Amino acid sequence: MASETEYVTLVSSDDYSFVVLRSSAIKSPAIKRMLDPAYGFAESKTNTCHFENINGLVLEKVCEYFYYYQKHKDSKDVADMDFPIELSLELVMAADYLDSTVPFEENSKRRQDMLI
Amino acid sequence: MSGRRGGNRIRGPQSALTDFLAANNISAAQIRDDYERRRTQAEAQATGGAESSTQAPGASAAESPVGETEEQTEARTNKRKRREKDAIDKIKNDKASKKGPKKKQKKKHDSDDSDDEYDVAQDMYRKARPAPGQFEYCEVCSKRFTVTPYSKEGPDGGLLCTPCGKELAKDMKQEKKAAMKPAGRKRRKLESDRLDGIAAGGAKSLMQLCIEKIAAHHDDVEELGDIPPTVLERLSEIFSKKRVMKPRTLRLFLRGDLEDVVVHDAAYLEEEDYHQMFAVVPKMKRLVLGNACQMKDEVIDYMLERCKDLKHVHLYAANLVNDKMWLRLFRERGPKLEIIKLKWLDASFEDAVVQEMVQSCPNLDRVKFKLCRKLGEDAVAALGDLPKLQHLSLQIGREVPSTTLCELVSKRGSQLRTLSLEKFVDADDTVLQAIHDNCGYLNKLRFSENDTATDAGYTSLFTEWQNPPITFVDVNSTRDIDNNNPEGPEEAIGVASSGFRAMMAHSGPALKHLDISSCRHIELGAFMDVFNGGQSYPALEHINISFCNRVDTSVIAGIFKSCPALKKLVAFGCFDVQDVVVPRSIALIGVPRAQDAIEQFGVGIDVDEAIGRMVEVGA
Repeated sequence: MASETEYVTLVSSDDYSFVVLRSSAIKSPAIKRMLDPAYGFAESKTNTCHFENINGLVLEKVCEYFYYYQKHKDSKDVADMDFPIELSLELVMAADYLDSTVPFEENSKRRQDMLI
Repeated sequence: MSGRRGGNRIRGPQSALTDFLAANNISAAQIRDDYERRRTQAEAQATGGAESSTQAPGASAAESPVGETEEQTEARTNKRKRREKDAIDKIKNDKASKKGPKKKQKKKHDSDDSDDEYDVAQDMYRKARPAPGQFEYCEVCSKRFTVTPYSKEGPDGGLLCTPCGKELAKDMKQEKKAAMKPAGRKRRKLESDRLDGIAAGGAKSLMQLCIEKIAAHHDDVEELGDIPPTVLERLSEIFSKKRVMKPRTLRLFLRGDLEDVVVHDAAYLEEEDYHQMFAVVPKMKRLVLGNACQMKDEVIDYMLERCKDLKHVHLYAANLVNDKMWLRLFRERGPKLEIIKLKWLDASFEDAVVQEMVQSCPNLDRVKFKLCRKLGEDAVAALGDLPKLQHLSLQIGREVPSTTLCELVSKRGSQLRTLSLEKFVDADDTVLQAIHDNCGYLNKLRFSENDTATDAGYTSLFTEWQNPPITFVDVNSTRDIDNNNPEGPEEAIGVASSGFRAMMAHSGPALKHLDISSCRHIELGAFMDVFNGGQSYPALEHINISFCNRVDTSVIAGIFKSCPALKKLVAFGCFDVQDVVVPRSIALIGVPRAQDAIEQFGVGIDVDEAIGRMVEVGA
């Protein structure tokens, strides 16, 4: 796969797109997996990830977090990142989703199981 | 003086301006005199250049005193100047204090005074504050109100009516509160987080950040929505830790579709909260309640009635439940129960209850009894008859003879995966031998706080043992305790050099968690052999070598080299450890004489470089 770009695009459910450094976006195991050519997902070809369950506001914070994390990777006594309280619940959901190392099929199945 | 004179004088009608000037001790005559003086002075200067050379270079002509004849004027001018300066200072001070400490500090750092000067100038040109008693329009709500000495100033400099002023004061207070967070406390919190293993350097995870935020605003959260159970559990843990798990917040964690209810600190919950818990979550399979001190018989009764699927019961300090109820719980739910964990039971729960539990709950595979005061030998003996038992943790206060333990191990050992025997002070080598002979699937072994079993016993346990390498070993505080003989007897008691070598040789390849704190008799040589840098322990993440007083700096360096996966090394009371340079991503906790912090965290240096630096320091 020749087109391992430096930047990748993350698109929210309400069609806001965020262009972020690949190196910081792959902090999320889910995104890393999506973009890994070895798995052959469509995302890895277009270098674009669509998130149907994350809206623009939340995704913006997530991207902010990616950079915050990368910036403070080797430092200690890091100040906490600030975000509005009303976003925290949605962010928890997003974080849980993006943190999952389970393959997507299983993941979505788990979600369906939970719904039932 | 002037007052008396003024009182005798008969005055005609005066304008408001004259009144104002008089009130502020400004006299028109004086202004005129000053003006005259300055004018003549300027003229004199223009004509005679020699005169100007006598004056100080910095002082302006107008301000400098000239001639003894004008002594009085000079004094007066000085006085007025002083007053003027005082006024400006006062305004400056007021300004600064109004801005709050945070901003002030920032100013200092910026050394940006021009802004301040500008503010002062603004203040001087601002409309004078109306005197008390006058009417004024409120800046915020535009209502007319009477000015009092206590009227607050609004954000744009106008005055505020009393209700708006109160609002503003409230806001200001909150702002101040938010701004004032003592640095000391923050630092301590950070250390505490590190010791808890939350902060391991770098940034916290987004999940952690969110959860903390939610916990901090627990009062404002109405509903948590359908967040995943794993997150919910984590959140519940944090709520418990912050002691905000109250009847109001409990509701957030109860959902009809859940199968788990986990409340690690239920101390605030009362009978009706427990009822609510079982009413809302009837499908409950797993119940974890810590500090369940207000859990009564009636609650268990209701639970038995509502929750038919209960499999996992974990209660901590449920002292209001009496023996009869425990018996009922086991009898009615017996075959379904798989996990029982009980801690801190003082008032009830006797050996007979355990015997009943063993009879009625054949499917139990995990049992933990800790600090249950009434349990003793009979309970331990009874546990041997649980056919499916795989995980067993015991800490029994009463004396339990080694033979009873041996019997238990020989009956159940063959399928045990976890065996944790804490504080069985009298357990001797025969117990270790029984473990060696019977256990073949152990994954976690704890045998701690014992001063009877000998080094030879541990050595033979780990030598030629059919059990595959263990991932979790905790043999802390196995040592001889005789104050008169700190070195211990010839034949070492507890895990000592040869036992430690045998243990690492057996379990080294899979070991993840090692606790040998207070194993005082392990010699330096054994540590050097085990952590020699050449031998690698690929899985080892957590090591506790506290109070192993032979450990020195080279052992620490050896550990860094031998354990590539190491995350946390606890070394309280190792007094020979000095000048350690901690490599990246390892937390070293408790090394004494650490000047900066109790915990040292490696930054950006990898193992080889760190060891290189240590060698330099040592040389």
